[in-house]
Amino acid sequence: METISSATWQALQLLLSGDTALWEIILISFRVSILAILLATPPALLMAFMLAFGQFPGRRLLIAIVNTALAIPAVVIGLTLYLLLSRSGPLGEWRLLFTQTAMVLGQIALAFPLLVAMAHTALQAADRRAWETARMLGASRLRAVWTLMYEVRFGLMSALLASFGRIIAEVGASMMLGGNILHYTRNIPTAIALETSKGEFAQGIALGLVLLLLAFALNLLLHYFQGKGQIAA
Amino acid sequence: MRKLTSALWLSTCLVLPVFADEQKPANPIIKMATTTSTQDSGLLTQILPNFQKKTGYEVQVTAVGTGKALKLGENGDVDVVLVHARADEDKFVAAGFGDQRYSVMYNDFIFVGPEEDPAKVKATKTTTDALKQIAATQSPFVSRGDDSGTHKMEKKLWDQAGVKPAGEWYREAGQGMGEVLQMSGELKAYTLTDRGTWLATMDKSPLKIVLEGDKTLLNPYGIIAVSQKRYPDTNHAGAQALIDWMISAEGQQAISDFKINGQSLFTPSADPAEVKPATEPAKTN
Amino acid sequence: MNELIFHQLSKHYGKRCLFTELTLPLIAGQCLLLTGKNGAGKSTLMRILAGLDKPDQGEIQADGKRYSWRAYRPQLQRQILYLHQQPYLFEGSVWDNLAYALTRGLPRSEQHQQIEAIADWAGLTALLMNPAKRLSGGEAQRLAMARALLRKPRALLLDEPTANMDQAARLLTLEMLEDLKRQGLRLMVASHDPDWFQAVTNQHLAL
Ligand SMILES: Nc1ncnc2c1ncn2[C@@H]1O[C@H](COP(=O)(O)OP(=O)(O)O)[C@@H](O)[C@H]1O
Ligand SMILES: [Mg+2]
Repeated sequence: METISSATWQALQLLLSGDTALWEIILISFRVSILAILLATPPALLMAFMLAFGQFPGRRLLIAIVNTALAIPAVVIGLTLYLLLSRSGPLGEWRLLFTQTAMVLGQIALAFPLLVAMAHTALQAADRRAWETARMLGASRLRAVWTLMYEVRFGLMSALLASFGRIIAEVGASMMLGGNILHYTRNIPTAIALETSKGEFAQGIALGLVLLLLAFALNLLLHYFQGKGQIAA
Repeated sequence: MRKLTSALWLSTCLVLPVFADEQKPANPIIKMATTTSTQDSGLLTQILPNFQKKTGYEVQVTAVGTGKALKLGENGDVDVVLVHARADEDKFVAAGFGDQRYSVMYNDFIFVGPEEDPAKVKATKTTTDALKQIAATQSPFVSRGDDSGTHKMEKKLWDQAGVKPAGEWYREAGQGMGEVLQMSGELKAYTLTDRGTWLATMDKSPLKIVLEGDKTLLNPYGIIAVSQKRYPDTNHAGAQALIDWMISAEGQQAISDFKINGQSLFTPSADPAEVKPATEPAKTN
Repeated sequence: MNELIFHQLSKHYGKRCLFTELTLPLIAGQCLLLTGKNGAGKSTLMRILAGLDKPDQGEIQADGKRYSWRAYRPQLQRQILYLHQQPYLFEGSVWDNLAYALTRGLPRSEQHQQIEAIADWAGLTALLMNPAKRLSGGEAQRLAMARALLRKPRALLLDEPTANMDQAARLLTLEMLEDLKRQGLRLMVASHDPDWFQAVTNQHLAL
């Protein structure tokens, strides 16, 4: 009990005192995860759009595959990418293992199915009339897509936030692909794993607090957007 | 076949405690925190059953980094710690968390690196020269970076070499030995490892031993019972029984009998002066 | 010639036939009233005319030539605008909705002038900055009409346009339809309550 309260107190002090080592880790975390979301979102939205409105053979199969991919544990995704990027793997030439790029790739792989699945649900709830109206009013396909996405933007926002929450707190793939290297690939979750193994509970809790605050903020936003979505519908 | 063996395994598990010993201890569970090296190498799995059969105790092992192992002891979460970080062990005892440190055994560290050996470490004889050359050529080096015993040893060696490692070539991984060896293989980097983990993983590694045998690379293990004064509800009797056995002739023989690929991993090193400990060992019954 | 005539239109869903071999002329300056019970296929027919849904078969006679429905579909989508029974208004203001229909790249002054003119015609001038999703049924219908007219269509198809309106709004709609006829637009109105539109109707088709 004593450990928890004193570690939490130290954690707060670390955070507020602007401890550079701590903030560096937080910065790396955000940089990697935001980049991953930014890169994953456009193709994921496109795919979600095709799944929601396209008519092509294998659409149902693809939906099933996306939903299955959601259930793949992060470490399995990490391991698969590890084997691909390893020196002896097919992409070994790229020398990406244990770099932030590898972490970004892992997080993209993690975020992608969740983004697609949630965006698909959001787009399915979109009104078919919105698409028809846009097209009748002379919108190009691209503009009509954009219009439709704007109409369901709260649902899409929820998809983004949920995916971001998933990857920023994920430890398995980041550890495997990034290697938890100080100053380079150590992010919040891998640092927590390390600090805990070292018995440095204050550092671990400080980082845990950051994740907790983040999760709280994301959830508030999520509720806000979901509420908006319901009122609009 | 597989089923049969696992069924056999199960039955031995069930039967063992029953036939174990007439004088079953009052509190038969001993909680031990130790470093990953002793657990991962398979040492404990091999030698502890002897102790358990003889005494009726059951040792529950938590394998973590040295830092955390000592922390578990400080918090009274375990009864006994088996670690390798001499300075911290002495601090642990001095602070009153443990009674007395007993020498148990030592193993040794080795430097491994890529076959091409860009820093020409193979040509060196001492750790100091090896590290200076690695730093001078800025050859990639992966550090455990996790405050483990191995990491502490590495930091000490850099200190002795008078080099402050920093820069992109020096990577603090913050992971276990197995992972760090894997990373070093991928990055064609040098690293410091304990021999046990190396022997267990060398088949799959592209790395080679580049330096071994230097006196500074010896790694002594100590065992400490958590203080009963501090934490009255720990299983102190059990902890002391385990220590007594580990430093006894029988325990020491078991340690040296433990081999991987025909090589002993640990060299027994109990100090005869410690075998009769200052504190009266509690009677087990 | 300036004709726009559909021939041999057929559509069925499952075993149910909605209409077969229908011939349907859309004549400039005239209004065609489409009546039928709920589920008779009024909306389906209009959606086919506007190029939104596919017929089983159908041809179009336009400007002196005959085309298959499929071949003429892009022109249908451009020339014939269908207003949903409950028109869909985009997120944003009345102004935003009107601006959506204007060709992109139009000079700003031209854009303003067109929007203001059509808003004036539809009685929306006072509402231009209001959020479109908050308009009343009658206002929404008028906005949808105004927005569609900015595309300068050859024909306007209104699906049950007075369903959500009170007396005054209905009268206003009738007046607007009269005006559109005078401008030479082809109109088609679907309704299960035909009495209302007797005054503007030139032809009557019952499904
Ligand atoms: N996509 C569809 N699949 C199957 N049946 C449909 C589809 N769209 C409409 N229908 C059916 O076609 C019939 C005509 O519908 P609709 O044109 O909306 O009628 P109305 O507008 O006259 O009320 C209805 O019975 C409806 O259920
Ligand atoms: Mg209808």
